Amino acid sequence: MKAAQFDYVKPKTLSEALDLLVETGDDARLMAGGQTLLATLNMRLSEPSILIDITGITELKGISVQGESLRIGALVTHTEIEDSDLVAKHAPLLKLAVPHIAHRAIRNLGTWGGSLAYGDPAAEWPACSITLQATMIIRGPSGERRIGAEEFFIDLYTTSLEPDEILVATEIPIASKDQISYFNELARRHGDYAVAGIAAVAKKSGDVLRDCVFTFFSVGATPVVATKAQALIDGQELNDQLIKEAVEIARSEIEAIADLTNSAEAKQHLIGVLLERCLKDMLAQK
Amino acid sequence: MSLKKKISMTVNGEAVSAEIDPRRHLVDFLREDLFLKGPHLGCEQGACGACTVKVNGQIIRGCLFLAVQADGSIVETIEGATKSGALEDLQNAFMRHNAMQCGFCSSGMLLAAAELIEKQPHATRAQVREWISGNYCRCTGYHSIVNAIVDVLSARANA
Amino acid sequence: MELNGEQLIAAPIPDVWRGLNDIDVLAKSIPGCEEISRVSPEEIHAKVMFKIGPVRARFSGKLLLSDVIPEQACSMAFEGSGGAAGFAKGRSRVELKLVDGGTLVSYTTEASIGGKLGQIGGRLISASAKKIADDFFQKFAKELGGEVIPLQSAPED
Repeated sequence: MKAAQFDYVKPKTLSEALDLLVETGDDARLMAGGQTLLATLNMRLSEPSILIDITGITELKGISVQGESLRIGALVTHTEIEDSDLVAKHAPLLKLAVPHIAHRAIRNLGTWGGSLAYGDPAAEWPACSITLQATMIIRGPSGERRIGAEEFFIDLYTTSLEPDEILVATEIPIASKDQISYFNELARRHGDYAVAGIAAVAKKSGDVLRDCVFTFFSVGATPVVATKAQALIDGQELNDQLIKEAVEIARSEIEAIADLTNSAEAKQHLIGVLLERCLKDMLAQK
Repeated sequence: MSLKKKISMTVNGEAVSAEIDPRRHLVDFLREDLFLKGPHLGCEQGACGACTVKVNGQIIRGCLFLAVQADGSIVETIEGATKSGALEDLQNAFMRHNAMQCGFCSSGMLLAAAELIEKQPHATRAQVREWISGNYCRCTGYHSIVNAIVDVLSARANA
Repeated sequence: MELNGEQLIAAPIPDVWRGLNDIDVLAKSIPGCEEISRVSPEEIHAKVMFKIGPVRARFSGKLLLSDVIPEQACSMAFEGSGGAAGFAKGRSRVELKLVDGGTLVSYTTEASIGGKLGQIGGRLISASAKKIADDFFQKFAKELGGEVIPLQSAPED
């Protein structure tokens, strides 16, 4: 399973890359970490005539705090997120999620931006970016634009990105002192595509959770936010009865879709399981 | 019109130059052009880990990395890691614990284990299992491999 | 793989029927359609580029119509080859019904996808097929100057 023949170019700047995209059009594929793309090419499920390697573009790299935002460049690798003190401090949800992404060798190359740009329903980063209310920063021939994470993910493998645009970075509001996080992913084996997952944050004081976000992934075409369950929990003292009600509501408000190995009913059930584990964990967190 | 690109890199400490097709994977370049048969080809999808090699100090899947991407990089295979002695205690532990039968997974397994020991010197048995779950072994049943790695972790911690 | 669905198009039945049989309308409606030609009254050949996630697979295929009841229903047998990516084969029955608001298009499809696309792309094949069908009907309705009316918001509440 070798890829078909293709040409290869490695632009040094973002504007060079954007010009190349326009020039080559549909025949080109952008490559960042390449961990999804190269597997796809190996199986000839795509046969581009040219690969545009964007990993040399410094503008797309780096993690920094700018004002009240944590900026993560599109080319930041999963391992860099895992190792980052800034992420641990300002977006701890990401640190919880990272070990669930594939395996170390893949994490050493795979990128934050790559995962977001594909919008795979089973991926961790799209759900986390929604939970953390990330703003996507996109550059195209007509300049830069910004869009919220929830709007960014439109449909199955479909994001707001146009064919001539590149995701540059995301900005995430830095975590408040009372923010707690929970992440869990159920898979048949470690590193497999998720059967169902949850990325959640909330502000906790005593046993009360406020501003909760419960985002479920691998249950629909895009990550799904359980708004009704959130509304139920918000501002209430968390106890077993409330958790039970929230679980029921989450199971009824989300219409799961099946994949090849798991039925919609199974996923519906697991949504409840994950929310229960999340709420119990959040209740126990200091 | 040739698509071949000129590349140069360091492989196992030696400077290497070549002209290759962009589609050539690093693992194929290492095996077929440089005759370094240590890394193996298993799935060519990044799942099995048999092709694991090191580029610029980190393990990567040689089947999900193009040789052209290694231009200007430092590449290390099991041959180089053995020669440098960096894996000596791990390799001895593997032999002591019978962590190798056909040997197909071993190159990738050793390099993955080496990165674990470097990054998580206090890894628990559960963490070892999770870390090497990216390397498939069809022979040993994994316990002997985990035992070998745990052995080295504790030996180094007590050293 | 089964794909069954209903779409409500705000256009009269004769328009919808005409559109479904019009090569030019189909060319603009089928997502990724690169070439399409009618070889005989019952046979259509097409080349379609499927884009789902990282996959870009060009399929060459043919569609054979049968059991045609004008302005009501028809059956289709289709098969396509995606080269190294795989192949697809299946049957579909499409029925049109006049309802409040326009034409209700109901379709039942049975398809098998083989080769690499089936093995590896299979994880989300139903969701992908549904998306392609949805995209088709959005474009199709637009071509007819109508629109797809979401069935959930049908006058019931």
